Amino acid sequence: MIETSSPPVAPVFAVKKRRLRFLGLTVDDTIRAFFGGNALVAVIVLALITVFLFREGFGFFAQNRTNLEVYRRAGLEYVDFIRRQTDDHTALTRYLSDVRLRQLKLLTEQEKKSLDEANAALAPFDAFAEQFSATVDPLRALMAELTEQATALKTKFAVTEDRKVERHQLLAEGKTAEATAVKIDAVDFATELLPLRAALPAYKETSREFSRKLVTLLDATPVLPAAELLPRMERLKQLTRDYLAGFPAIEQAMEAWDYKEPVPAWQTFTSFLFGRQWLTASFWQDWYGILPLLIGSLLVSLVALAFAVPLGVGAAIYVNQIASVREQKLIKPCIEFISAFPSVVLGFFGIAVLGQALRAASQISWLSWVPGFPYSERLNILTAGCLLAVIAVPTIFTLAEDALNNVPRAFKEASYALGASRLQTILRIIVPASLSGIISAVLLGLGRVVGETMVVLLCAGNRIAIPDFTQGLSVVTEPVHTMTGIIAQEMGEVVRGSIHYRALFVVGLVLFVLSLLINFLAQKIVRRYRISIG
Amino acid sequence: MVIATPEIMETRRAAPASASPPSAGKDTIVDIDHVDFFYGATQALNDITLAIEAKKVTAFIGPSGCGKSTLLRCLNRMNDLIEGTRVARGTIKIHGVDIYEPDVDVIELRKRVGMVFQKSNPFPKSIYENITYGLRLQGRSDKAKLDEVVEKSLRGAALWDEVKDRLHASGLGLSGGQQQRLCIARAIAVEPQIILMDEPCSALDPVATAKVEELIQELRSRFTIIIVTHNMQQAARCSDRTAFFYLGRLIEYADTRNIFTNPANPQTEAYVSGRFG
Repeated sequence: MIETSSPPVAPVFAVKKRRLRFLGLTVDDTIRAFFGGNALVAVIVLALITVFLFREGFGFFAQNRTNLEVYRRAGLEYVDFIRRQTDDHTALTRYLSDVRLRQLKLLTEQEKKSLDEANAALAPFDAFAEQFSATVDPLRALMAELTEQATALKTKFAVTEDRKVERHQLLAEGKTAEATAVKIDAVDFATELLPLRAALPAYKETSREFSRKLVTLLDATPVLPAAELLPRMERLKQLTRDYLAGFPAIEQAMEAWDYKEPVPAWQTFTSFLFGRQWLTASFWQDWYGILPLLIGSLLVSLVALAFAVPLGVGAAIYVNQIASVREQKLIKPCIEFISAFPSVVLGFFGIAVLGQALRAASQISWLSWVPGFPYSERLNILTAGCLLAVIAVPTIFTLAEDALNNVPRAFKEASYALGASRLQTILRIIVPASLSGIISAVLLGLGRVVGETMVVLLCAGNRIAIPDFTQGLSVVTEPVHTMTGIIAQEMGEVVRGSIHYRALFVVGLVLFVLSLLINFLAQKIVRRYRISIG
Repeated sequence: MVIATPEIMETRRAAPASASPPSAGKDTIVDIDHVDFFYGATQALNDITLAIEAKKVTAFIGPSGCGKSTLLRCLNRMNDLIEGTRVARGTIKIHGVDIYEPDVDVIELRKRVGMVFQKSNPFPKSIYENITYGLRLQGRSDKAKLDEVVEKSLRGAALWDEVKDRLHASGLGLSGGQQQRLCIARAIAVEPQIILMDEPCSALDPVATAKVEELIQELRSRFTIIIVTHNMQQAARCSDRTAFFYLGRLIEYADTRNIFTNPANPQTEAYVSGRFG
């Protein structure tokens, strides 16, 4: 800066000024440094969080690959061929008991029989069902035996791995003597798996016997007391025949199975992204498939939007276009006040009041036309969705109202001057002109609910399973678990650095990417379709 | 404050006494009778009495805030959109119908009294959709008819040759002058009887202004035009009758030539000669 030497005579044009300096910095420099520093801290923190997320998360894929490898090497995969077979049979048995339940209902409600009479009428059916479910027992016994062997092998391998780690640590600490004292028995999978492979002939025999029994049973299905359910019985027969037709394929798969076959690297990704099971701390095999959580999160969010979009956008249109100044002054703070509720309070309300009330409403007979009604699970997608809608409404309302506000008054006046009614002006001019803003408001609302944790943790029912879409819209009455919910629930219990811990981080990453995508889209839409005025 | 000359005071006092207002001539289409208008507690128009003739161009002139735009917007009840406004006294009749009667349908009124605004305001839609908007509101969807109206209106607004090849391009892509003529075309597409123009050229350059003025001359045979303008040359060039307003009062209303060459009121004289305002 310019150092002015004070002249003896004051200059006519006195615009030069000595600057105050502290540590060589002027006041302007200090202010600049202060605000710049604040911005820098924000950027650094964001970068650190992102780096941390990625660092902790990416280790998962290597660990998951080992996890999948052990699953194959220790023969768990082999045993699971049989397990699936028995599980499918269990599903058939369940179908059968569903048929019984319907029959009982028909008999008692339509034919006005007493419970004892109905049960008596169903005796032949019960005998059949019992035989049907007993057919699988030998197979199950065999499976239990093999399960034990495979588990033992897996445990043995895990112990070896632990020892290796232990020795490694000791070596790192320089304790060579102790390190050599750690005994490591190499696990020879080939020999260890021999008994498992040797069980194949036994399996074949059991499976074929099982098949023969089922075929005989199918020919001797009992006469149903309720004729209306005949189609269901036929359906069961068909399902069973399809089931039996799959047996040879299982045998072939078991024969062809090779424990040495390597697990390709992509499988660790696909088993995560498309895995249909999230199963942790299991005695058998852990699965980290995000699909049930992702679907749960999306379903809950979609239900929330289905309620929040009409409410939020409708309220915004009313406040912006129709309401008087007095009404505006009342409604706007009210809606904005909703966001003052802590989400845990909303979740509490959901458990204590809303879940109960919705279930009670679902039992009302004249509401039975609503898809999914009546239902029995108090906490489900619908309950969580309704509450999330409450959370999304202020976001959608405020942003949509802004968008509507940005529509120039001139459009409205021009429309009225041409003889348009208020509704016509709103629907044909105001809403189309602000559509991009409204869409981005909805997207940001979606971003808000996808990331919401407390409400879904408390109210979504927390059942880790892909809900049953075959029943159409009534899927919304099923309980689900969500990505945010699982992180909140399980992060406190996992061992730091374990595969489970890392899996949760990857779930967090997916969530992060999803939110990023939604926000990016919202901004993109606003920019691309912003109307140029004048 | 207005220093009303004795003559004017007299006329105003005399007006209510006469059985039929002196202005209600044979060709009168709009008859404004002793109108007071308020924005909340602020009085914007004070005892306005004025008769507008059919198929003529009437100009409202006066300095900013004199109430000329307010009066214009009373004629198609656009002021209804602003909360707290009211016509406190007097009547406005169009073809003898008091448009502030409770059973008047504002929508029907606005179909018959079109409006062009100060700032061109085409909708963010195509040129074609801009023109057909008014008709579609009325439920017309006959393609051939709409096409015909679009061509007729655009020719009427002297815009056809410039846009006929891009009817489906956005109306916002036109130049300022073209946009204003598009707005005029949009207004005449619904075949109103009266067109209100609120300073239609104030945002245009001289060339575009000349085109719009030319257009006004062409439209006068078919429509009654009421134009608010700040530009006195414009009023002199294209209007038949001129009303001079000052501070919410009608000071003088006469043939345009008289207003500009031989005004009866010294204030009018001062204004048109550019000594104030």
